[in-house]
Amino acid sequence: MKKTISIVLVLLLVLSVLTACGGGNEDPAPAPGEEGKVFNIYAWNEEFKGFFDKYYADKIPEGVEVKWTIVPSDNGAYQAALDEALLNQDAADADSKVDMFLAEADYILKYTNSAATQDIEALGVTDFSNTYAYTVEAASDAEGVVKGVSFQCCPSALIYRRSIAKDVLGTDDPAEVQAALDSWEKFDAVAAAAKDKGYLMTASYAETYRVFSNNVTTPWVDADNNLQFDKNIEIWMEQAERYVKNGYTLTEGIWDAGKNAEMGKDGKAMCFFGPAWYFNFCMGPAHDEAMGDWAICQGPAAHFWGGTWLLAPAGSDNPTILADIMNTFINDEEVCEALIRNESQFTNNQKVNEKVANDETYASEFLGGQNDVAIFAELAKNIKFQNQTIYDQYMNEGLQTYFVEYLKGSVASIEQVMNNFYTYINEKAPSVVTP
Amino acid sequence: MDNKKKKSISYAKWGYIFIIPFFVVYFIFALYPTLLTVYNSFFENYREGLVQVGPNFVGLQNYIDLLTPGKDGTIGIVRYFGNTMIMWIIGSVPQFVFALLLALVFTSARLKIKGQGVMKSVIYMPNMIMAAAFSMLFFSVFSTVGPANQILAAMGILDKPIDFISIKTSARGLVAFMNFLMWFGNTTIMLIAGIQGIDESLFESARIDGAKSTRVFFDITLPLLRPILIYVFITSMIGGLRMFDVPQVLSKGIGMPDRSTFTVVMLLNNYLGGSKNYGMAGAVSVLLFIVTAILSIFVFKYLNKKE
Repeated sequence: MKKTISIVLVLLLVLSVLTACGGGNEDPAPAPGEEGKVFNIYAWNEEFKGFFDKYYADKIPEGVEVKWTIVPSDNGAYQAALDEALLNQDAADADSKVDMFLAEADYILKYTNSAATQDIEALGVTDFSNTYAYTVEAASDAEGVVKGVSFQCCPSALIYRRSIAKDVLGTDDPAEVQAALDSWEKFDAVAAAAKDKGYLMTASYAETYRVFSNNVTTPWVDADNNLQFDKNIEIWMEQAERYVKNGYTLTEGIWDAGKNAEMGKDGKAMCFFGPAWYFNFCMGPAHDEAMGDWAICQGPAAHFWGGTWLLAPAGSDNPTILADIMNTFINDEEVCEALIRNESQFTNNQKVNEKVANDETYASEFLGGQNDVAIFAELAKNIKFQNQTIYDQYMNEGLQTYFVEYLKGSVASIEQVMNNFYTYINEKAPSVVTP
Repeated sequence: MDNKKKKSISYAKWGYIFIIPFFVVYFIFALYPTLLTVYNSFFENYREGLVQVGPNFVGLQNYIDLLTPGKDGTIGIVRYFGNTMIMWIIGSVPQFVFALLLALVFTSARLKIKGQGVMKSVIYMPNMIMAAAFSMLFFSVFSTVGPANQILAAMGILDKPIDFISIKTSARGLVAFMNFLMWFGNTTIMLIAGIQGIDESLFESARIDGAKSTRVFFDITLPLLRPILIYVFITSMIGGLRMFDVPQVLSKGIGMPDRSTFTVVMLLNNYLGGSKNYGMAGAVSVLLFIVTAILSIFVFKYLNKKE
């Protein structure tokens, strides 16, 4: 008898362990007109959460809880978590449905071109008269249905070090520096001059990558999914190789410590490229050790870098709040102006940007008193969001990481670089046909 | 002894009952996923963006793809097996030698080392750090602007920084060194346990007979330690074949330079991360399983051979 009892107990124990894993109960769907009690937002860092808490959180209706799921984007972890949640959207109970998620330019197409996102104009976000056209293009699917908005606009500028520009060009005035650097031929000539004076033109072989890759005329894969190299990418590779060989730049990656070291007080690099978020939040050593020794101008070609879009997932049970958040961050002039003045953002509202651009009292301390909004307002008009594919992140990162091995001399030939790059693409994106 | 047949109560069934939970857990969490992996390896099954492709039955196509030579004439996965084994060997050979020496020192009746507890904890310590964090630390220390280069430059040895992680030998060496640091403590403790399990009277009688320490080591310690050595060797090899986090973090996931620190599990990770390619990842796992099984059986048979 005892035996039987203990067998039963053991089995029960095992069963209880197993049943704890499965199951899940269905919450009753909210009645029509009534919206969900939990507003779920997926993001990869705290940046937007900070703005949201400061400028929007008060407007959340009583009884609705905002729940953030923040997964860092390293190694695709954010997208993996988000994909799981979106693919599970229909089955998820009301309180765990994704109600809004954030996406970056490099992979936004994956979500906009999918049934996982919904038309925001149907939700009541219809006024795009003040937003920049490229931000709307980026958030639209192939048929032009808008699936989200960006709360920022990210035109990327040439950020130069005033003291070095004075030494090399004899001036640090943005207009004159721009005149000296408005084409790649001039850029090359200045690079040689900087080298002669013991400076570096840039601190990373990939510093100019976005300037070329944003202006490609063919996407990374053609209609039959064949990988193709745009002429601009080839020009960049040629330039990077020449710059490294001539000592105009370093073999450091965009985010490497060796590049950041060149922003400090002993930094030798003259030019960096980046939008407002880059020089305000990612140039730490420059802020700590060379405050005010910087200025921006347009550089050789208009381009953008990054930017965060707020996308509307299909199946959200809080469409009213969702639409209101989107409208607030693109059309609420007070909020947008606060984003510029308090948070160093360049917003996605042209009217507010123009207003600050014309405000003579507005000046960036980091840029030695320059009005960066005025420069960005000009640059933003020329940005295009075109020839993008869902594979761009793999392409951009893969090419840069494998190409630099050739520049460092650890891979002997370009053929081997291409072999490694294609192998990587085959592993990450099985449907892309590599040459 | 002579009355053992009188009582016939068998306690064996309790043994079986008590191991049921293990087998249940094993079947559900180990055997079933393993079989599922094998099953998955015969399908084309991945995600393109948010669109699911497959699963479509493709037979052995995934294996054929894995074993087809690339444009540079080498078979990718064979190279990655090579990388993995090379990094394991240059890390584990010194690890065994060092661990064996330490174990002998700690167990030596003549030396009677004091403070053994502290020392054992210290040598075990690196194993308690998360491998990824450890690797991140090495990445910073050996970067071009890291302390390793600064110290060498300050001593006047280098006039320009060395990019350790971009040179095949030093990159592999660093991976091996980290694995060595992380695991020698563990191996030492296993071997100490092994040596302490040897009957003390054997050592005593050897000493009385006037045997030298080397003679005692080769004729008593080593032969009697063999079962433990085989165990340590095989577990280390299986762990080595599954090497992942250290090279993944150190080489930013690309196995630089020139994919020479790229391991088999990193390949698996590339298939799974991003496109959720269960088919190819399954095929890689199955090949890894086969290679591990063959090597383990070979090592076991070879080392366990009775003379």
